[in-house]
Amino acid sequence: MTTPLTDSPAAALGQAVAAARAEVSPAWLAARRRIAWDAYEAMPMPSSQRDEDWRRTDIAALHPERFTPIDHVDAAVVDAMRAQRDGAAPTAAFVIDSPVAAPIEGADTLHAQGIIITTLEEAALVHPELVQRAFSSVRADESKFVALWNALWRGGVFVYVPRGVEALAPVWIAHPAGGDGHAVFPSTVVVLDEGAALTVIDAYASPTGPAALLSDAMVILSAARDARLDYNTVQQWGEGVWHIGLQRAVLDANAKLRFMGVTLGARLQKVWWEVLLEGVGSEADVLGICFGDGTQHFDHQSLQAHVGPETRSNLLLKVAVRDHARSVYGGMIDVAPTAVHADGYVANRNLLLSQGAKADSIPRLEIRANDVKCGHGATAGHVDADQRFYLMARGVPPEEASALIVRGFMDDVLDRIPHRGFAELAGTLLDAEIAGGSVTGVAAQAS
Amino acid sequence: MSQTVLSISGLRATVEGKEILKGVDLQVAQGEIHALMGPNGSGKSTLAYTLMGHPKYVVTGGSVTFGGEDLLPLTADARARLGLFLCFQYPTAIPGVSTVNFLRAALRAQGKEMPAREFLNRLSTEMKELKIDESFRSRYINDGFSGGEKKRMEILQLAMLRPKLAILDETDSGLDVDALRTVADGVMRLCGPDMGVLVITHYPRILEHLHPDRVHVLHDGRVVTSGGADLARQIEREGYEPILGTAVAATA
Repeated sequence: MTTPLTDSPAAALGQAVAAARAEVSPAWLAARRRIAWDAYEAMPMPSSQRDEDWRRTDIAALHPERFTPIDHVDAAVVDAMRAQRDGAAPTAAFVIDSPVAAPIEGADTLHAQGIIITTLEEAALVHPELVQRAFSSVRADESKFVALWNALWRGGVFVYVPRGVEALAPVWIAHPAGGDGHAVFPSTVVVLDEGAALTVIDAYASPTGPAALLSDAMVILSAARDARLDYNTVQQWGEGVWHIGLQRAVLDANAKLRFMGVTLGARLQKVWWEVLLEGVGSEADVLGICFGDGTQHFDHQSLQAHVGPETRSNLLLKVAVRDHARSVYGGMIDVAPTAVHADGYVANRNLLLSQGAKADSIPRLEIRANDVKCGHGATAGHVDADQRFYLMARGVPPEEASALIVRGFMDDVLDRIPHRGFAELAGTLLDAEIAGGSVTGVAAQAS
Repeated sequence: MSQTVLSISGLRATVEGKEILKGVDLQVAQGEIHALMGPNGSGKSTLAYTLMGHPKYVVTGGSVTFGGEDLLPLTADARARLGLFLCFQYPTAIPGVSTVNFLRAALRAQGKEMPAREFLNRLSTEMKELKIDESFRSRYINDGFSGGEKKRMEILQLAMLRPKLAILDETDSGLDVDALRTVADGVMRLCGPDMGVLVITHYPRILEHLHPDRVHVLHDGRVVTSGGADLARQIEREGYEPILGTAVAATA
């Protein structure tokens, strides 16, 4: 064998790295990783010319093979992320998604409740049946970047809440990245057993600055019968980051998901927010806010798949774009023939803050059942001149009036977030974005 | 004789290219209550918006001073900071901006910020006076409010901001008798030597509560006649026609 099986930092994404990942994995996972890598190599890069899904999002300038998997944790970024936890949810356990061993902080209460919090790698070894249950909702080869993630992820975070246990504190998961030219594969897998309840905050961050990074992310959420999952995520990558990710939740009977996504950073983000309402009576409220400026490009694709009867879902994504930033949104409510009495709504509201900013919105319904209630709505507009005048007539200067209106546009969503600490953090980060020009990422010294 | 706070002279203004104000002259002294009356379409609301500095209303002639300062080059926010206040006929809803945050932003902008406790105490007192439920504090400003609630919210802002001059643009429209009394009592409580009022209405009922010092009648973009409170009573009895007939004859 001439190819060295090395995991050294110098090895860019490629066969050698993939083989090394498979080598250190348990057999079931190694097999999955090999299928994934072969699929990744066999599939062409998504193209805005050829692929309908990518028509409005051009990644021709992205060359994954030029990135090197990260092999360290950026301490300064972690400190900045921990400080956010301290402010927003001081009781939350703090878990770092790291390629090297990192201690889990403040998890004693949760561990005492029988809740498992560990790395995904460890879980794959020790609790293979739980990880496999979660992985069963994502095919290893279902797309180019899902395949790449399956082949190469390491570290990762796994949380399992046993039957009937209501977590006494949230879990704050930090996915840090730093340096230049690195690839990260942020991984969150959360499994709630019957009647369990948990709040998760899932944060992505890298230092402010133009460093080129690739983030190929996966979130798998699994809620068994009667479980309640409150999932909040914030994306604060620096302005040179490519972020592509799948966030998929599977809900069993009467399970309830409240999902909140805050998108602020990255050069380009394309994410899929998917909820599979499989069990009877399961419910999902999906909320999102996104603020973009400079030349940032955001692409959110959502799926509300109603499979079980009496399922309910509601999705609202609010986007504000300034300068030459661009937002693309595609949303689908898919109602299977089995989903009688399904109730689904999807809405995307866009606020254009500059002439050069742009937002495209394509919500769709695919209804194959009778007796359902489904709808969609999409709007795009500029800051309302009457609202601005009304504020100015009370003495508020024009720039501040616009900022208040933008913040108000978003607060309509933030006010619905059950975790108030997270809502306040999101508001603070948003204010900085509104006021501060095209700066994203966390204020941390790049290592 | 107290000092003139608002002085309008030969004011002309257009809206979307159409001339609405055709040379308005009007003086309001510090602390006085003036009523500006006139039939629909006479230019009353245009005058209100023009004074406040709405960008849709283009001044094409004349001058306006407020507290001795030239008002016309200033943007609306600067006019408000000088102490001019417009009670909107149709207050705008701003979803996501709570009443409390809105008021705090306005007070801060006008340099009238106060400690949080004092602010909340004052707000609570004023809301009670205006019979506004406490829940309106955290509600988004004017969002889903009824017509009467919006008008009371305008007066609440007036009470919190304490301007030098308040222009009430058809504040009485759409109010039932009780709501009208609440709003009018609110205004009467606030006006005095420090705050004058220019109340715009085409309906004299609110003037029974506000007791104006002077009444002006606007017609076709000009003030055609002025008088005391009895002018409003005459309009109530006889309508605008006799007055406008005389006025038109006089200017012909």
